[in-house]
Amino acid sequence: MTPGSTPPGRSGAPSAHPGAVPPAQATSPLAPGGPGRGHRTHRTWSPRRITAALVAAVILVAAVAALVDVIAVRAGRPAAFWRRHLADELATRPVDDVWMLTGAAVAAAVGVWLIVLALTPGRRRWLPLRSPAGCPRLRAFLDREGAAVLLRDAALRVPGVGAARVLVGRHRIKVRADVRFRDPQRVKDDLTAVLGEECDQLALARPPRIVVRVRQRTD
Amino acid sequence: MSPRSALNRSLLALAGLVLLGGGLLIFFAGLDVYRWHGLVPPAGWPLTTPADVLLGSADRARWSSQGWWWWPAVIAALVLTALLALWWLLAQLRRRRPGSLPVGGTPPPDGVELRDRALSDAIAAEAGALPGVDDAAVRITGRPAQHRTRIRLTLSPEGAPGTTLTALCAGPLSTARRCTGLPDPPTEVRLQARRHRAHRVK
Repeated sequence: MTPGSTPPGRSGAPSAHPGAVPPAQATSPLAPGGPGRGHRTHRTWSPRRITAALVAAVILVAAVAALVDVIAVRAGRPAAFWRRHLADELATRPVDDVWMLTGAAVAAAVGVWLIVLALTPGRRRWLPLRSPAGCPRLRAFLDREGAAVLLRDAALRVPGVGAARVLVGRHRIKVRADVRFRDPQRVKDDLTAVLGEECDQLALARPPRIVVRVRQRTD
Repeated sequence: MSPRSALNRSLLALAGLVLLGGGLLIFFAGLDVYRWHGLVPPAGWPLTTPADVLLGSADRARWSSQGWWWWPAVIAALVLTALLALWWLLAQLRRRRPGSLPVGGTPPPDGVELRDRALSDAIAAEAGALPGVDDAAVRITGRPAQHRTRIRLTLSPEGAPGTTLTALCAGPLSTARRCTGLPDPPTEVRLQARRHRAHRVK
């Protein structure tokens, strides 16, 4: 993934900063790893409200429909069309019928998806941040799109960069920049330094790896 | 994990297991997995061969001849299921708000209360005026005794999350703590940045 021309040191430990960065961390109130200077926010688990509401609504609708029809039949009315149809289909189609197999596959897939949703934390859109030292009960998150916007602005501040695209993943940040003038290698070094500094400003609890690619564009 | 999250996740896992189990049961019988692999399902296993149907006539006859208690029992089970599903659905839609918070020292004097909206509006006004912040929205949730603060901040292009958080902690949040005399509530801050066109900062 990383192009071969990446300078060594950037792909190492996530907390490693390039040597070109001036030691600005000493003035930052959110310096990473400093004792007593803030703490890391752990990822919170999503309550899965929307999925739970959907599943609850489906169960509710099915139960109420069945209830209404059972009571209607007890009261002497004929069963509803959907119930007769459903009972006929279930009574006549063998389980190797293509519709039965399709239905079974869909049910199993939805089941797997629900189990995955139940067991994973979710909130993949939000990156946990370090909390400031004065507020121990504060938990902060930055959305990935917002981080991308801030990093793109920082990248455009580097002289020679004409355009930049930033993709913020949960563990890695990919930056692609078009170089309009100056030596691409020096622009790339500057970009690496500036983005490392800006990433420190983002106060991310787990600083992601930054992968920079530059492309010469002189048109 | 909050109690609601634990409940939702348990029920979702249960629903997922039921769907997965039912689907696999039909699949195994439909593709005749038992015979190919020489497996003998235990006695009473619902579906064993590809020719089986889900709703056999033997089943229907057995259910219909259960006696007077069968249909009342079915109706009771359906009512119970519907009520539990309704309760689960409403639990997702409800947001607990404290209404008002007791303030004025410990123990709080009677009748001195602060509306949650007043507190959240005050925090939002001060947070929205911080440098680098475009917009702030604050909600107070939970019970009066254990309320929580949720803050959503939209950063301007000049804003930096680290310094904004420090300023938020030193400004609006410490003001709120000083003015209400309440201990620090758990606070969740969500930061976003406004999308804007790429431009060079001169």
